[in-house]
Amino acid sequence: MKKFLFVVLALMLTLSVFAAGDKEAAAAGPQKITIWAWDPNFNIAIMEEAKARYQAINPDVQFEIVDMAKADVEQKLLINLSSGVTDGLPDIVLIEDYNAEKYLSSYPDSFADLSSSFDYSQFAPYKVKLMTVGGKTYGVPFDTGVAGTYYRKDILEAAGFRASDMENITWDRFIEIGEAVFAKTGVSMCAFDPTDGGLVRVMLHSAGSWYFDKNGKPFLAGNPVMEAAVATYAKLINSPGTMKTSGWAEWVGAINSGKAATISTGVWITGSVKAEATQSGKWALAPIPRLNVPGAVNASNLGGSSWYVLNSSKAKATAIDFLKQIYAKDNDFYQKILVDRGAVGSFLPSQGGSAYMVADPFFGGQKVFQNFSAYMQKIPSVEFGSYTYEADSAIASVLPSIYAGGSVADALKAAQAQLENAIK
Amino acid sequence: MPHEQLLLRRLRGRPSAGLVFSYVFIIIVAAFCLFPFLWMVIGATNVSKDVSMGKLSLGMALFDNFANLNKLVNLPLVFRNTAFVTLVGTFFTLLVASMAGYGFEMYRNRHRERLYAFLLLTMMIPFAAVMIPLFRIFAKVQLLNSFIAVILPSVASVIVIFYFRQSTKSFSRELVEAARIDGLSELQAFFYIYVPSMKSTYAAAAIIVFMSYWNSFLWPLIVLQTNDKKLLTLAISSLSSSYTPDFGVIMLFIILATSPTLVIFFAMQRQFVAGMLGAGK
Repeated sequence: MKKFLFVVLALMLTLSVFAAGDKEAAAAGPQKITIWAWDPNFNIAIMEEAKARYQAINPDVQFEIVDMAKADVEQKLLINLSSGVTDGLPDIVLIEDYNAEKYLSSYPDSFADLSSSFDYSQFAPYKVKLMTVGGKTYGVPFDTGVAGTYYRKDILEAAGFRASDMENITWDRFIEIGEAVFAKTGVSMCAFDPTDGGLVRVMLHSAGSWYFDKNGKPFLAGNPVMEAAVATYAKLINSPGTMKTSGWAEWVGAINSGKAATISTGVWITGSVKAEATQSGKWALAPIPRLNVPGAVNASNLGGSSWYVLNSSKAKATAIDFLKQIYAKDNDFYQKILVDRGAVGSFLPSQGGSAYMVADPFFGGQKVFQNFSAYMQKIPSVEFGSYTYEADSAIASVLPSIYAGGSVADALKAAQAQLENAIK
Repeated sequence: MPHEQLLLRRLRGRPSAGLVFSYVFIIIVAAFCLFPFLWMVIGATNVSKDVSMGKLSLGMALFDNFANLNKLVNLPLVFRNTAFVTLVGTFFTLLVASMAGYGFEMYRNRHRERLYAFLLLTMMIPFAAVMIPLFRIFAKVQLLNSFIAVILPSVASVIVIFYFRQSTKSFSRELVEAARIDGLSELQAFFYIYVPSMKSTYAAAAIIVFMSYWNSFLWPLIVLQTNDKKLLTLAISSLSSSYTPDFGVIMLFIILATSPTLVIFFAMQRQFVAGMLGAGK
């Protein structure tokens, strides 16, 4: 019996030693910057590069870069902010652009106002706009999800289309080309997951519109741009030239295996396109098609995220200085992350750098990143509001009825009601 | 093994249509259950691109995937952390829950059933509702980012207490009474008489509790903060959200992460079944 109690006591002692160790680590001083981000091969690796560069300038600063899934970062951040406990918060956090306004407008005092710390004219305007709430700019713009249409030159040529046929077109024209390509070559023009409405977002953004009006109220029903976007998307899905896939893996698999001739999405897909080395030289890049509404441009965006500094940070000044020295100054850093990680930043002065000028043999010698840089500066500014994902799922839930030929206006009314219900 | 004898006797004659049908049915269901595991093993040996193209044969990328995984995740650390949390957590949960289940069944008290019903009622509260208060409590007592914080809230697991109380119903009270007459204290009676005779119950509970600690995700995600405290589940999750997920690496990691639970389950399968059927008989 005594032996047993001894074991219990010993275990408890071990546990308390573990606990005590933490407190010491936490008290290590203000020169430690904790960063939360996701994606070990992208954001985390890029932050490691930034850390190494900053430590060369300021060797006393320690970093703890915590790697979590995106949903996990969001959940953790939300619980910390809503519980009012600041001990657990990091100094810098990565927030996806679509969700930025949600955090900034719900917890405005938790994030550092950086309006006077950075020269925002040096960043892509659409990125600055989405992190500006109530006249204050909070974040440091990071990667862009500038969209483009990657296409198989060889397949399109076999169907009689040239590069100029892909420039400056509408989605309606894209669908026409797709049907011709499919009829002549048997290869699908593109692949899409009918349950995923990501392309609807791309179309909306290209027309400078979003799910919400100026006051942040849902604006799905009776929104002409919204109607055009879902109707066009349904037409695309129903086109014989479109291959229907399910999930991310199958979607990327469609182009890697040569079953689909184009992929229209954010610049971050470049690595996945190039993963199939046997297709080298056969690919090219064109601007994304635009929506057939007034004011729409052949430039849009899908995804992207930015860095934010927490007001509770014990090393706030250092954290801001770190972001300034690297993300708002170091052009060479941006060349390095483009070459190593395929990351396209939104810091404009960096885009004249050598990495952006490289002619890529995979794309037949095209300087794709220079093209992306040009597209990025044309992306319209929109306010994403606080409920992009809620709106996204409301739209996704009515898409099947539109595919089946139902009324677009009625479907959007239903989506509007669902969205209002979800965010009430 | 009465089931096997029954089966053999039935197989000696011509198999009936019903038997054939049930076997076909079982095979189909088993295929559905086993395919994901097969897919996981195949995926772990292929590069990400082949996984996404639906390649169904073994590839040559197993060692590359392992090397990449090793670069992305500090494997020894996360395994050590997870093993620590799981073993210590399982030990204390079994100790506390079995004592509670034993106590609820063996000691009579006027408020016993009311207290027990109240305890069961707490099972109805979803974890999401207590998460933030719990987080605040642990922040107050300065236990954030410690393994104590991960283990403590689930040590008094109501479902395990319930399971031990149900199993204790078949434990004969006379054994403990005899022990008391022989001069054993209450604690001694518990440890020398009850614990050894409930081995299969402990084994079954151990498997369940082991798995729940090994797979715990949400609460550790919230209370653990630094990289040196990372658990397996958190590490797997962090690989999954990226612009270009590496499916081969993820599959390999999942195999590594699930194999300890598989080993534990197969090692203790017999006790598990016996425990589920009811111990102490």
